[in-house]
Order: sequence, then structure tokens, then C-alpha cells
Amino acid sequence: MSRFDDSPLVLRAGRLWQEATTAAFLDAIGDGTLPPEAFSRWLVQDYHFADALTSFQGIAAGKTPRQFRKPLIAGLGALDAEMDWFEAQTRVRGLKLNAPVHEICRRYCDFLIQAAYSEPYPVLLAVLFGVEASYLAAWSGLPPTGPYAEFIDRWSNPRFAEYVESLRVLAEGNLHESSQRYFDGVLAHERDFWSMTWEG
Amino acid sequence: MLHEILWQQNVRLAEACLHHPFMRGLADGTLDPEAFRSYVAQDAFFLNTFARAYALAAARSQDMETLISLCELLNGVLRELQLHAGYAKELKIELARARPYRAVEAYTDFLLATAWHREPGETIAAMTPCMRLYGYLGTELAKTAGAGNPYQQWITTYSGSEFQALVTRLESLLDSMAEDTPAVGDAYAYAMRCELNFFSAMLEHTA
Repeated sequence: MSRFDDSPLVLRAGRLWQEATTAAFLDAIGDGTLPPEAFSRWLVQDYHFADALTSFQGIAAGKTPRQFRKPLIAGLGALDAEMDWFEAQTRVRGLKLNAPVHEICRRYCDFLIQAAYSEPYPVLLAVLFGVEASYLAAWSGLPPTGPYAEFIDRWSNPRFAEYVESLRVLAEGNLHESSQRYFDGVLAHERDFWSMTWEG
Repeated sequence: MLHEILWQQNVRLAEACLHHPFMRGLADGTLDPEAFRSYVAQDAFFLNTFARAYALAAARSQDMETLISLCELLNGVLRELQLHAGYAKELKIELARARPYRAVEAYTDFLLATAWHREPGETIAAMTPCMRLYGYLGTELAKTAGAGNPYQQWITTYSGSEFQALVTRLESLLDSMAEDTPAVGDAYAYAMRCELNFFSAMLEHTA
């Protein structure tokens, strides 16, 4: 039983939700057997993704009416701090952040950017909820121990869960006819992203 | 000229498109009609986005000459869409019901993300491969197409002088609007890869 089992967006996504929140990569993070090259690949590609998500969220915050905007703006601050954290993590490991963007990561980033400009704010709220809820669910399934404990805690701690809950309230309170299609689109990209980090 | 530099840098991808089984099937007329039906529906979806990307580039243009060129190129896409509507009627395809394949959606997401979010020169670089490639494919196929090829109208359209003039017009816009930067080169190369993926998707979905 996950915390989103009663979310209409999650329920209507069907098996996509499971596919987006479980992966061989995550299992290997959980039991500490992840090959270092897979972790490095994930770190660099996720940095590119976080950069695109920052653009998406900035545009989404601007399009969202004042009464719904606060969680998005607070989330933008956290996202920027996360970019600093990614940069520090990659420096420690001697990784280059200007490495080419993988085609799977690029597809996800393009999906977010085009949606940010083309779609109305209720759809953008569904997209943001999808991105963060699937991430929370994916990392929350892992024991917060082992060599990757810092990473697991980062996306499964109560403050992050509280932020995702606020996004859920906004997304479900502002449904649009395209919300489900875009929510499902996020989950399909999440699924492909996890496969890419594992398989290269 | 930048357009020629970028074409030469990516000519192997263009040749891969020319030798792709989908294109070989169009060339000798043996393409599975189901694959062509898929192509018509998916390409109509793609061209709808392509027209919007021209419109976005036009809205962001800095001078009247560029604005006029982009509007004329947009009109060229609308004529191409009429050709697809003709095919759709003949082949009884409901274009409005067609959902894009993932490879096609990746390409249209890329075009729209670039047109909205990146520099106008990058948008033109993202759009040129489609036009130059189709001009090239049409010309190459016209050299060998035999009588009775059911896809002759497609070959005639893309090898014709009207389409070739649009290619030249877009390439001159690329030369005037874009610099030889990594971002421009990357947009051009990625669009060319999207073209190759597009042809593959048509066969994968009808296999």
C-alpha cells in the first residue's frame, strides 16, 4: 500500500505507476550492489534533468495563479539547492557535467519544456506532481542504509513527502482534460530514464 | 556556408535514411501499404508541429524579411499537409484519431521545446534537416523510380522544383540566422537522428 494508492491520477495510470517507481537500478541502490559506472551515469544525467525541471518549474510558477503558487516557488529554491548539491557530488567523483545528454534524458527534458510553454497551468501541476510523486515512491521503497543512504534519504524524507503532498492537492484540485495524458507521459519517461541509467 | 557544413557533417545519417528499408520500399514500390498508411498519419501529426515551429520562429523574428520567409515556409507545410489529407482520403485514414508513436513525439517535443525555449538560430537548425533530407531523398529516388510505382506522387513532390525552392529558402535563413556553435550543430544532428528514428518507427509499428 503506497501513500498515493487513492490518487485518481495514479489509479488511472494503471501499470505505468509501478513501472515508473520500481527498477533494477533502484534494487541495486537498495542492496548496495550498483556498479559505480551506473551510479555516475545516473548522477550526470539526473543533473541535466534537474536543470530542465528548473526551467519547467520557473515557467509553471509564472503561469500558475497566485493562490496556488507558493509550493512551486518554494520547490524552485529547493531545486536550485539540489543543483548545487549535484555539482558538489560530481566534483567529488571527478565527473564531467558537460558530458553529452543521453537521448532518453533529452526526450524527457524536451517533453517538460514543450509542456511548460504549450499547456495550461492545471496540466503543469499534474506534470510536477507526477515527477515528484514517482520519485518519492521510487526512493521510499528502499531501506535508508548502505553506501547510498544519503541519496535515499534525500528523496524519501518527511519534508520532501510533505512537499509532494502539497503538489498532489494542487494537481487533483485543478484537473484538466489533458492532466491524465501528461501524468502518464511523465511516468513513461520516468520508466525509460531508470532503464537508461541501468543499461546505458 | 553553414548549411553545407552541417549537411556534410551529417551526410552519413542522411545516407542511412536513403538506404533505410522504409525508403528502399518507397523507391522500388514494394513498401507494405500498412507502413505507408502509418507514415501518412504520423507525418501529418509531425507536420502539424512543424508548422507551429515555423509560426513560433516567425513570431520571434527580428526583421520583416525573415518574417516573410518564415510565413512562406509555413505555407509550404500547409500545402504538404493538403497532400497528406489527399492520401488520407484515398487510403481511408482518420488523421484526427492518430496518436503519435513515441519516436515521433520525441521529435515534435524537441522541435517545440527548441522553438519556444532556445535561440531562433537553433530552431532553424532543428528544422532544416527535415527539409534538406526530404529534398535529397526525393531527388535520389527520382533517379531510379520505375513506371507504375504506387508511391510516385511522394517522389514527385519531394524531387519537384517547388519543394527544392523551399529547401533553398530555409537553408539561406539558416546561414543568416545561425552561427556555427555547438548548440546549432547539436540541434541539426539531433534532428537528423530523429528523422532516421522516424522511418524505423514506421516499420516497427507495422511489423
